[in-house]
Amino acid sequence: MNRTSRVASRWSDLRRSAFVAAVALTVMVLSMPANAAPAKRGTAYRVGKLVTMDGTDRVINNAVVLVEGSKIEGVGSRQELEVPAGYRVVNAENLWLVPGLVDAHNHTAGSLMDLNDMVYLTNPGLRTLETIVPDNEIIKSARAGGVTPVLLIPGSGTNMSGFGTVAKTGGSTVADVVQRSPGSLKIAQAGNPEWYWFGVGRSYMNYNTRQTLDKAKAYHEGWNAFEQGKTKDKPLYDPVFDGFRGLFRGEFPASVHTQIYQVVMTTVDMLSKKFGIRTVLDHSTFDGFKTAPLVVEQDMYTMNGPRQYWFDFSQRKMHGNAARWWQGGVKKLGINTDAPVVPQKELSYQAAMACWYGWLPYPALRGVTKMPAEALLIDDHVGSIEVGKDADFGLWTGDPIDPRSSCEMTVVRGKVVYDAKVKRRF
Amino acid sequence: MRTTFLGVAVLLATPFIVATPSWAVPPVKLALQGGKIIPVVGKVIDKGTVLIEHGKITAVGADVEIPYDAMVVDVSGKVVMPGMIDAHSQRGMDVSNENAPVTPFLNVYDSIDPSKLYFEDALRDGITSIHITHGHNTVIGGLSRLIHPIGMTPEEMTQAADVALKISVAPKRGSDRMVQFATLRETFLELDDYLEKLAEKKYEESLEEKDEKIDVGPEEAQKRGKELIKFEDYDDKHANLIKLTRGELTTFVYCDRAGDVGRAIALAKKHGFFDRMVFVLGTHCYKAIAELKKAERPVVLGPELVHRERDSLTGKLVETFVPKVFADARLRFSLLPSPNTSLAERYLNYQAARCVRGGVSRSRALKAITLYPAKALGMDKKLGSLEAGKLANIVVLSGDPLDFSTWVEQVYIKGIKAYERSEDVRLKQLFGDDPAEVSEEANGDADKKAEEKTNGKADEKAGDAAAGSDKTDATTKDTPADKGESDSNN
Repeated sequence: MNRTSRVASRWSDLRRSAFVAAVALTVMVLSMPANAAPAKRGTAYRVGKLVTMDGTDRVINNAVVLVEGSKIEGVGSRQELEVPAGYRVVNAENLWLVPGLVDAHNHTAGSLMDLNDMVYLTNPGLRTLETIVPDNEIIKSARAGGVTPVLLIPGSGTNMSGFGTVAKTGGSTVADVVQRSPGSLKIAQAGNPEWYWFGVGRSYMNYNTRQTLDKAKAYHEGWNAFEQGKTKDKPLYDPVFDGFRGLFRGEFPASVHTQIYQVVMTTVDMLSKKFGIRTVLDHSTFDGFKTAPLVVEQDMYTMNGPRQYWFDFSQRKMHGNAARWWQGGVKKLGINTDAPVVPQKELSYQAAMACWYGWLPYPALRGVTKMPAEALLIDDHVGSIEVGKDADFGLWTGDPIDPRSSCEMTVVRGKVVYDAKVKRRF
Repeated sequence: MRTTFLGVAVLLATPFIVATPSWAVPPVKLALQGGKIIPVVGKVIDKGTVLIEHGKITAVGADVEIPYDAMVVDVSGKVVMPGMIDAHSQRGMDVSNENAPVTPFLNVYDSIDPSKLYFEDALRDGITSIHITHGHNTVIGGLSRLIHPIGMTPEEMTQAADVALKISVAPKRGSDRMVQFATLRETFLELDDYLEKLAEKKYEESLEEKDEKIDVGPEEAQKRGKELIKFEDYDDKHANLIKLTRGELTTFVYCDRAGDVGRAIALAKKHGFFDRMVFVLGTHCYKAIAELKKAERPVVLGPELVHRERDSLTGKLVETFVPKVFADARLRFSLLPSPNTSLAERYLNYQAARCVRGGVSRSRALKAITLYPAKALGMDKKLGSLEAGKLANIVVLSGDPLDFSTWVEQVYIKGIKAYERSEDVRLKQLFGDDPAEVSEEANGDADKKAEEKTNGKADEKAGDAAAGSDKTDATTKDTPADKGESDSNN
């Protein structure tokens, strides 16, 4: 209880400021239609190839994408779809239009100084929302790599380091860029937290993580019982555990730093199977792919990387991680950069590397667009080019999975946030 | 279960697992026919059959009627014995101990890594049950688990969960015996304190329900409240200690020096776990044999079996073969394999063979790697011998288990074939495609070559002698044949 109250007092101020930010966001969203001009004036992108990543995996040659405001208004081939009068036309007949790349495991949208607050072995109640720095240098480089939304999560120094934020790479204020907070709960199942204090083993770490989640679940169930009228005792509001209610309701996932066989196995067993939490396996490298049957059984998302290969010393054999997951039957598979561990602009290159080690180009492209969007539960507005979704995309000189291709233009919510013709970054 | 077993074969699997179907669908009935059977309990059967039905042994004997629907495996010329049991191991875990000294709330379940090479090695060495427990570097460790070395998750591997609690009376690294015992005293005092407070709380709660006010003093309240406590009321940190003090939990107590033994017995008697206590002993503890004999509790020895001590006056090194002392005292002891994988001590059957060489009876040495560890773990109704009703954890060997040229040929776990030497990829890497034939051939060839060489050399030397003795060393060295010869001589 002491711990709770200390953390509570430390974070209450920040919560208040976040509330202000949330109010500001709401006000902005509400005021947007009023600002829109009565006559429609959108933009039409004429492209050589459009990879939609929609439900039927449509690829349209010589396509037109109509953008109105921040949304996609129309998608079709040049024959089917007429450009309405008054629309600005961007001619990019030599380029590919690809959904904005999504990075589901990333530390770049914030100030990198606030990465880890290693007070305890588990630190529930912290949020990266407070650390957002829009338009920072790494975000600028992200745009140059065609990356449009990212999940900013805290580091993996402790077993539970706080809640992440889903943020867009375009926008200049916190309210602009924040898409959802909490974006996910960050858990590090093992690995880095093993260095905590004088060293911790997995029996203690797993016990401790389970304890924290048990408390959070009890808090959630207490409130549930009260809200459903099962009890008249109103539970005490606890800022540390309140954020977990969305997690247990399945509104956002847990992003789990997990690698090697035993740790991935524990993640599947503890978080997905026993706690029923929607869990995304981040990294999932080394021999983690051997758990594929367990992951398939739980129907979980895997965000592989940034290491794309593993050398098995006992068998003297090289394995491509993504390829092995895929062969093991895990089709809900994506790629992450863990930026700035790997530069944010190299998300597509990570997917290319996965293909070099045996994966397939189209699933790899889906693995950096639609799959991470689905994993983060933001696929209702990003991750594919469909009418009504956010106008987030990149114009590429070719297939993004081909390392020779470059991103020539990036659009976030209908606005051009990177244009190589104006200023090429690399 | 079936799909995951298949998964193991396809994915987890270390290269020796080739027989996918045998993993996926264990035969319902299986007869191991024609081998020499060492059942450990009862007489050796020179040519007999072990019948397995639904993962259990249903008959062992010379004239077992084999049901028409049983799969028959011919093991004639081979030796069949119960799977060996490793009574105390940390090698399947990520780290053997946590830094926190008192951790009765932990469970090795959270630490077991099914992908460890150790489990593959265990099969190769004929070990079918492993008691995974926290190591000696602790004061009170967590709960242990008895597993078999196949399966994708600790759950699939489990033979028995929460088998025992680990206590060490030898000092945790970085402290000494005074701190060790102070910590133990403090833990049990705190437990008493916790129980009193919990009892008071329960009594108060029961009064609140009836809208009554507290009517008695704290002592009486504790007494009345004690009866109201249910097991669910205990928190994680104390629940296992309470089981321990009630004698409901087996406890593995590590003693390093002879003096630890008496203190461990006193502690166990004071806190009520003496009747469920198993000693894990360092070599020096043989000196406390009188106390151990009186206590008559199971003992786990090793992996080091020889105690070495230098006489401080004469400087003479005195070596004592510890298992002999325990055998002479008629105590049941279990042996441990050494974690040093490069040494022969890593084979349990080698440890047993050492015992026989050191004067322990063959029967006791075999029991020390099968039946006695099963008894210490409270699993002797299921494991430890080839008897009807026990689990079909069986090892098929190429020869006598105590002969060191013997190989493990097959391993069955609950009737599932878990290891087949002819399909062991790692052995193939070491010895070539067919380990059995190639190694014999290679040996044979080597012998022949050696013979030829020595003959040839003899001839040459004879020739040399015939040619006369004026030949200098330098000229001899110039001939390539001689050069090769001298190299191989060296």
